[in-house]
Amino acid sequence: MIDNPVIFYSASVFIILFALLCLFAKNVVYSLLSSIVVFFFGALFFYVLGSEYNAIIQAAIYGFAVPVLIGLSIMFGGGKTNVKSKRTLSLFLPLCAGIFILAFIYLIMMSLVIMPDTFNPSDVLQVNSFDTIRTFARALFIEYVWAFELVSLLLTIVIAGLGMLGVHRHRGLKRSRGGEK
Amino acid sequence: MEITMYHYLFIGLLLFLIGLLGSVLVKNVIKVLISIEIMLLGVNINFITFAAFCDNIRFDGYIISLFYVGIGAVELAVALYLFYLMYQKKESDNIEKFSDL
Repeated sequence: MIDNPVIFYSASVFIILFALLCLFAKNVVYSLLSSIVVFFFGALFFYVLGSEYNAIIQAAIYGFAVPVLIGLSIMFGGGKTNVKSKRTLSLFLPLCAGIFILAFIYLIMMSLVIMPDTFNPSDVLQVNSFDTIRTFARALFIEYVWAFELVSLLLTIVIAGLGMLGVHRHRGLKRSRGGEK
Repeated sequence: MEITMYHYLFIGLLLFLIGLLGSVLVKNVIKVLISIEIMLLGVNINFITFAAFCDNIRFDGYIISLFYVGIGAVELAVALYLFYLMYQKKESDNIEKFSDL
């Protein structure tokens, strides 16, 4: 674990700013680019917290694969992405203020409930890369093997289902074109 | 100044609330999906934080967050395919026009 306030605070400011920009940018492409930055800063947080494996997975899937999917959806959407909403603008400032007030109340309550000295990472945590990977392997293939297999099955079903939907739709389009001729 | 567990939990909470705000207020389907992913990122940061600070033996939070990444990617793929199909019918990405799903 990296206990550096400069990294933490700068990453926090950037992740919050880009998350807000992601929601309230007018162009959805800017939202997509901001979301990439948010996901990469999320991976940075995982790395700082001592979980390199999760950071790599987060950066690979949410930093590269998911933006490609969303970008393809924007391309198929034809670029008509501006949705004007007066309600959004009128509620933006009070809701943001409410979020920050709630978050500060939560922080104060948590710091009152749990004493900071209870969880001192330098006393309880001895993490290095080899131990983390070994723990992951043990958990995935022994303790959580059923969950692992279920997730694998779910991924397979989704891929097969999307393929089937695409094939059916392609056949339907062919039939309708044949009927028109 | 020492960085404690609450700092990370606070960031996770902020991300969750920002995602919640976006998924409630924004009308664009793709932005709603991105907001849901931001909410999940906040939850994931909380899992990793608790695993790093409180669980020094089994690292359950790391494993759960790993499963979340897989499930989240699947959910996003299915949602984007549904969006693509609905967009072809409605010719719009406004979520209010998808109410007769």
